[in-house]
Amino acid sequence: MRRKIGKALVVGAGIGGIRAALDLAETGYGVTLIDRAPSIGGVLSQLDFQFPSNRCGMCKMLPMVERDAASQFCLRKGLFHENIDILTATELSAVEGEAGRFTVSLREKPTWVDAQRCIGCGLCRTVCPVTVPDDFNDGLSVRNAIYLPVPHTVPNTYVIDSVACNRCGECIKVCPTDAIRLGAGLRRGFRILVVDDEAIVRESLRDILDEEGFDVSAAASGPEALESLDAGAYHLMLTDIKMPGMDGVELLKAAKAAHPDLIVLMMTAYATVETAVEAMKVGALDYLIKPFDPDALIPMVVRPFEQLQASRDRRLDVGAIVLSTGTGYFDPSAGKGNLGHGVHPNVVTALAFERMLSGTGPYEGRLLRPDNGEPVERIAWLQCVGSRDIQADADFCSTICCMHAVKEALLVKERYGEAVACTIYYMDMRTAGKSFQRYRDRAEFEQGVRFTRGRAHSVSWDADGRNLLIRDVGLDGSCREESFDMAVLAVGQRPAPATEDLCRLLEVPTNAWGFVQTEALSACRTQRPGVFVGGATAGLKDINESVIHASAAANLASRAIHAAGGGIAPEASGEVVYRDVSRESAAVLMVLCACGEGAEKRMNADALKRRFEKDPSVQQIAVVAESCTDTGWDRIAELVAGGKANRVLIGACHPYAYIRRVRQLGAQIGLDPSLIEVVDIFEPAWAAARAGADQATDGDVDPVLAQQSTRIEMALARLKHRDPDPPPAIDVIQRALVVGGGIAGMTASVAIADHGYAVDLVEKEDRLGGNLHWLNRTLEGESLQELRDAVTQQVTQHPNITVHLGTEISGGYGQVGRFITTLRDAEGAVQTLEHGTAVLATGCREAAAQSYGHGQHPAVVTQRELEQRLADGTVDPAGLSSVVMIQCVGSREEPRNYCSRVCCATSLKHALTMKENNPDIAVYVLYRDMMTPGFAETYYTRARQAGVLFVQYETTAKPEVDFGDGGVTVRATDPILGKPVEIAADLLVLATGMTPRMAPALAEAFGVETDADGFVAEAESKWRPVDAIREGVFACGTALSPRSVVESIATGEAAAQRALRILDQKRLPAGRIVAEVRHSLCSRCERCIADCPYGARVLSPDEDRILVNPAMCQGCGSCAAVCPNGAAVVRGLREKSMMETIDAALAL
Amino acid sequence: MTDFEPTIIAFVCNWCTYTAADLAGTSRLAYPKNVRLIRVMCTGMIDPQYVIKALLEGADGVLVSGCHPGDCHYINGNFKARRRIKLLKEILPRFGFEPQRLRLTWIGASDGIQFAETMNKLAAQVRKLGPSQAKLKMVI
Repeated sequence: MRRKIGKALVVGAGIGGIRAALDLAETGYGVTLIDRAPSIGGVLSQLDFQFPSNRCGMCKMLPMVERDAASQFCLRKGLFHENIDILTATELSAVEGEAGRFTVSLREKPTWVDAQRCIGCGLCRTVCPVTVPDDFNDGLSVRNAIYLPVPHTVPNTYVIDSVACNRCGECIKVCPTDAIRLGAGLRRGFRILVVDDEAIVRESLRDILDEEGFDVSAAASGPEALESLDAGAYHLMLTDIKMPGMDGVELLKAAKAAHPDLIVLMMTAYATVETAVEAMKVGALDYLIKPFDPDALIPMVVRPFEQLQASRDRRLDVGAIVLSTGTGYFDPSAGKGNLGHGVHPNVVTALAFERMLSGTGPYEGRLLRPDNGEPVERIAWLQCVGSRDIQADADFCSTICCMHAVKEALLVKERYGEAVACTIYYMDMRTAGKSFQRYRDRAEFEQGVRFTRGRAHSVSWDADGRNLLIRDVGLDGSCREESFDMAVLAVGQRPAPATEDLCRLLEVPTNAWGFVQTEALSACRTQRPGVFVGGATAGLKDINESVIHASAAANLASRAIHAAGGGIAPEASGEVVYRDVSRESAAVLMVLCACGEGAEKRMNADALKRRFEKDPSVQQIAVVAESCTDTGWDRIAELVAGGKANRVLIGACHPYAYIRRVRQLGAQIGLDPSLIEVVDIFEPAWAAARAGADQATDGDVDPVLAQQSTRIEMALARLKHRDPDPPPAIDVIQRALVVGGGIAGMTASVAIADHGYAVDLVEKEDRLGGNLHWLNRTLEGESLQELRDAVTQQVTQHPNITVHLGTEISGGYGQVGRFITTLRDAEGAVQTLEHGTAVLATGCREAAAQSYGHGQHPAVVTQRELEQRLADGTVDPAGLSSVVMIQCVGSREEPRNYCSRVCCATSLKHALTMKENNPDIAVYVLYRDMMTPGFAETYYTRARQAGVLFVQYETTAKPEVDFGDGGVTVRATDPILGKPVEIAADLLVLATGMTPRMAPALAEAFGVETDADGFVAEAESKWRPVDAIREGVFACGTALSPRSVVESIATGEAAAQRALRILDQKRLPAGRIVAEVRHSLCSRCERCIADCPYGARVLSPDEDRILVNPAMCQGCGSCAAVCPNGAAVVRGLREKSMMETIDAALAL
Repeated sequence: MTDFEPTIIAFVCNWCTYTAADLAGTSRLAYPKNVRLIRVMCTGMIDPQYVIKALLEGADGVLVSGCHPGDCHYINGNFKARRRIKLLKEILPRFGFEPQRLRLTWIGASDGIQFAETMNKLAAQVRKLGPSQAKLKMVI
């Protein structure tokens, strides 16, 4: 893979960070991806099931072209990409410079296990005497002090929780590779001074910390402490605040003046917490409240100790920074805590419930009551816990919880059906996304999930003290109570841990609740140029949105680096030329790792040698000690260089640990890395060791040896037949076509053109701007007219963009890399364009109003009409006394059963405008569910404060309109009064939602599929949200699904970034595992064409043969299985190789 | 035949079941030791002849396992496998094999436990059938 001049830093390796990093890496940038956690994956490592398939599918995010640059295995397991350096347990500690030229410092926290040496054998875990609650399962299970942070990741390197660890040293004794560094000696080198006037406190602290292995001294007063500090080099001082004579704060000031690096922790009684907080302002790190729990004290001391131990900050030059630090969660046990979390074991968070359903979870995927392990029969989901709650300082919606609850309820229903009753208590069911409403309907009407509108206010025990009693108040004010086995709390979002520090460091402002504040009209730009947010950093998002925003942030980062002239020079990496071994017969160098001392005796190298030296394809067998270390690796390189081997088979431990190494070795010895394979031969030995001593042998054959032999033999069969020639590639026309000149299309055009590629922007109308010609401003008050003018100017003046106004697409064909599209302008003139990719931004229009007397009475308008009339003054709020708005007109029910996402916000915008202009105006909003996800919720609150009245209605009792005596009368049932109401309206505003404008002919020209509603069908709604199923075609804006202007801009940027992966190379290589056609055997039956899920195969009329587009083919092998003649073959998995592998598997 | 330890060939897809098998391994779950994993990119590429070959070469049981429906990395490969395996089960008796020696399952990447359970169940099922007679017949 080529490397571009330029590097980026991505902070946070959850789904957003991974997407941003991959998008940048795929366009050739070097990326450093860091995460505070010891593993990647973020919250998604805990979530097994995703809406709407209720399965995973994260692997679909991996590169589709030039696949071999990245790992080709489950993404939840881990990630490898040639251009991405992943640094876990690492934090950003400093940033200097400006966009294009940042210098960042990264600080690695010690995990006490050497990742280079740990082979994940797990022997350490079997001897660890400590058990603590496992965060991974949200405390529902326990783990040891030495543990795998995520059970399914690779490299499966253990880490030590140094707070829980008692440093008994048992793990060190059993570790076969000597990987564990407990740092016991290091703790003795950490000097702590305890200052307290009470001897008993001093002594107990001294004992506690001494037992933790630290070097502790004590002083009885301030002056004595200062003396001690001067005499010896202390790292940390723990001081009481209230002491006779010199008090703690004075001591702190004096100590800090003399020893600025000293870490100070304050101890205080409740009464002086304020003083302690003051102390933090003058340099104390933290404070403890007396009397304190050693469990609270120890982490406070261990943390600064570990920071001190952190290897020196690594400095790095990067052109741009992407923040995707994810989100934190509200702690339902804190605060009012009347929902029983932390009190009753059967009250769990939504995340914990998700873990309960997981196969790697605490109950191995079975749904059991946490209190007694019995089956669960009745579950209640309580929404909005710590969200939409002004008392909890949370005047925002956490966006994802409604769908999360629906998904969890559906999962339960799909598994247990009638046996488990599921109830969701909610205020508004926010199904504001593509296909969300139908998903909810499926849960409600097909699976029988009960949706109850109401906010539960308390959870207690029921009469027999066994189950939970949940109380809530219905809309009519009645108190209700019901008994459940379990309650699942939809805990709301909070800023990710350390967001405040990170923002201070980056000089990026936060919003009122501590989330990163993005710039006006951008979802991803921050105030600081060159620093962007992707994922949930600026507010919780579902996967679809996180991925879109991450791609958009990657695009902005790429442009920042590009604009700075490429920025920082990359590491030297010339194009590696591999030896051509295609005409040689297989000659395998077999290397057997003797591992460390502890492992040597577990392998019978002589027996293995005897067995395999007979194989004609094995050229040499060598035993190398510690093949995972640099020395071992150099030895392997020497062996290859010395012999004539053209394949290398390394029998060692986990192959995943060697991915990077294998590539380095390949480059070093000039052998294509695909001809080097690592096979795990130690696992059988470890399994035997864990099972206890040596198992009885079956007759003459040592079972471990037999398994090792089979593993090697199978690997040999695969390796022998591996295709040695380089993978095919396609030529790319480095030019893009964008269809649609609305805000999304214009944004995408600029985002591509800014990278120096030519863009043709085709617009059907005779002007650019689309819906921004009538949209006046956003809910937040930003002018959309100014935005339209600014972006239009940018587009028309851009040297790389050619705008085709009044032009339509009349036809097209071709595949990724080369599309041929015909344009026809208003005069009928035809023009043909060749381009490598296409971005479709055909947008939406406001749906036509077909009810409530629109078109019959002048006082009935749509939201669009109101927007225009408020702007041009034809509607003047001052002249109105009563306005009624009806939401969801023709929306969220068949046939348009989707939420248009923007109408609620638009109604709030108009209602607030009218209230501002005329406080006496009565505004009534008749709604089904108010859809104000995220921080838009504040406007809902504001509207209610301004006196706008909201009346909820159900589809079974829709509002009725009557034009009796010339006026407009709206009738509805107010659920709070429980009575029908009649409202006389001067103006009736209908929120009709959006309908897509994608013409069928256009979709056909690009081979794009549309869903039942006419929106572009994404390749995958969560993992590839702006890609069409057809490679090389992307969509953005409302062509995909209804969304706001800001969100449309983000999709435009995201689609551009996805297109750039292709445009960026003249020749695009395929993956190694790719289909081919043996034309001499092919009967042109075309079954393979029908079977190819990617449309990569065509029957060429010119050549009369089947052709495979290698960039579209993903190597699934469907064609090979369906071909009746053996003419469709998959490189790397040919029939011969498969057959020999089966033979090898059954040889013993 | 209670102590008969069957040899099982498991054709697993690269994305889901292989990961689950790996997880079962790293989670130290017990499953029959004579399971031989053959990794393919997708169950949709498994040619019925591979299964027949494995049985003819003496495998006592064969597992084909991929991603759950709707979760296939390659969109729909697992559905193709389902069709093929159904037909294959129909014709296995003609080769002299009990259809119970072949199993098709969907095991997701995080279902390490399910993988181990599936292997244990299949092994138990095959144990009941006894060792494959294929090799013996071949000799005759």
